[in-house]
Amino acid sequence: MAIRIEKIRSLIRINRDVPALPFIIAGCLLLALGLVGVVRVFVQGHEAVYGVTRQVPWGLLIATYAYFVIISTGLAFIGGLGHAFGVASFAKMSRRIVMLAFVVLLAGFTQIGMELGHPFRLMYLLLLSPHFSAPIVWMGLFYTVELVILGLELIVIFYPSGVNHRLAAILGFLGLLVGVIATSNLGFVFGSLSARPFYHGIYFPVFLVISGIAGGAALLMVVYNIVYKLKIPETYKGAMKSLERLMGLSVGVMILLLVWKVLSSLYSQPGDAYAAVMTLIAGPLAPEFWIGEVLMALILPLGMLVANRGRSMAVSGIAGLVFLVGMFFTRFNFIVAGQLPPMRAGNEGAGVETVNGLMQYAPSTGEWMIFALGLGVFFFLYFMAERFLEMEIHSKSKHLILTTESTERHGKGRQMIPSSSCSSCSSWLK
Amino acid sequence: MRQKRYTIVFDTQKCLNCKACTVACKFENEVPVGDDTYRIWVTEQPLQGRFPHLHQAFQPSQCQHCENAPCEHVCPTKATYRTPEGVVLVDYKKCILCKACMAACPYDARFVSEHHGAVEKCTLCAHRLEEGREPACVETCPTRVREFGDLNDPDSEVYRLLISRSHYRLKSEKNTRPRLYYLI
Repeated sequence: MAIRIEKIRSLIRINRDVPALPFIIAGCLLLALGLVGVVRVFVQGHEAVYGVTRQVPWGLLIATYAYFVIISTGLAFIGGLGHAFGVASFAKMSRRIVMLAFVVLLAGFTQIGMELGHPFRLMYLLLLSPHFSAPIVWMGLFYTVELVILGLELIVIFYPSGVNHRLAAILGFLGLLVGVIATSNLGFVFGSLSARPFYHGIYFPVFLVISGIAGGAALLMVVYNIVYKLKIPETYKGAMKSLERLMGLSVGVMILLLVWKVLSSLYSQPGDAYAAVMTLIAGPLAPEFWIGEVLMALILPLGMLVANRGRSMAVSGIAGLVFLVGMFFTRFNFIVAGQLPPMRAGNEGAGVETVNGLMQYAPSTGEWMIFALGLGVFFFLYFMAERFLEMEIHSKSKHLILTTESTERHGKGRQMIPSSSCSSCSSWLK
Repeated sequence: MRQKRYTIVFDTQKCLNCKACTVACKFENEVPVGDDTYRIWVTEQPLQGRFPHLHQAFQPSQCQHCENAPCEHVCPTKATYRTPEGVVLVDYKKCILCKACMAACPYDARFVSEHHGAVEKCTLCAHRLEEGREPACVETCPTRVREFGDLNDPDSEVYRLLISRSHYRLKSEKNTRPRLYYLI
């Protein structure tokens, strides 16, 4: 028993060289702001606090939910590449990948939890009265399974006696598989709505999977730059270059998808898809589209990655940060734009108030507070883990032994030696 | 016993835009006051013709009680369901307020009711149907714009109207197969 406690204690430490405190404090402030929002919702009610309406029922919180959970599944995808498919450069980062995926998923759940009027009712009704033709059922089911898989992965990856890589590989593969299914199902929640032609189709399920992978890679590059104060050790250079390539390729595919989505919508004139895409190109969402989505999510990050070509990992980190901001706009723009064309013309008596034939939506302060709650959960939990947990594998493992020179916490002092009894370890270390 | 198939047939040319139907609906179903909270509405169509020969049409409408109801398909908890008579209803105790039905409805016929803590909509006054009474909007209309009845009954007025006059359904291209018909 004493040995077990000692092993668990070996995971807990105070990492003074990781600049986590500012982020923990920022997380606390955001959490406080978010909790004010939560109290407001409980006291005043959703309808009074949120800016969504009868005609635009999904707003900022759904966009933020889609933002967080899809980054999480992107991270699970990258983690799965490391664990299950032997991409050694990613396997080295497994603790941070799994911790990030888990925490980001929790942050996403805060958004959907506060968006739903009866989140607890959902939990038992999904078991007692599931409607299997509804995409939301599958989305909820797969994201719940994803959370369980990530939780198990956390236990395996942080297991004090060492990492069982066979189990990690199985969980990594399941995390990748279920993550992709969950993400595309979230896209299908929108893609299945034939009433909203801009949503309808395969664009969003595919776009979410691809942008999730880019988002996961971007977040890892940002976090590693923060943890190592813009001086990422050589050990991770290979991983960073792989992440750059993964993100660059994904952003390229996102550009391709977006171009054809915009063009095909333009050619549907005078339908609702045309009206929706015009809100992005030259309508009320134009600044968010051109600056937030086109510039920050696509052109700038891709341009920076291409110009950098892996030379500076700090530049990659900045590209990742810019992308993460821009990626938020890709969610917000798509979700809001699809609802701006009204289902009924805004004639007198219709009960529909339009401006230039379109519905209006702007997030309320209450919605921004709940947004802050999600960010706060991420900053607080993740950087607490960075501050107090050993985020690098260094203890003796059943399959893999990593030795560390005690004088040097990061950098070349680490050496990984594959176990001769495990075939998967050799693929890890290629 | 033959299954009933409830239907409303609108003769919009009779509509005066008096809005008695909207008021009756509010009172009958205790629908809260508010810009977004209404089960039925009367839309004023754009003016037609040239002064002084002007014409204005009105289009009363509500939930279309679709046979292929998108709101029912996307509801994750079966809160939205169809009765054997074809009335689309919401079980308020099962609604989680995900609002997927609101996003899925091509008629914008649903809204969040804080009173019920659920998404609500026209029920064709289901509580009145059980008593053999017509929906409140049908009963109150001074010019009988709405005709309510059983489409499976060849002796019903709705059956007679639909076989004798041209009619259309709203957004038929969506394949929702509404139970509400508009006479031309």
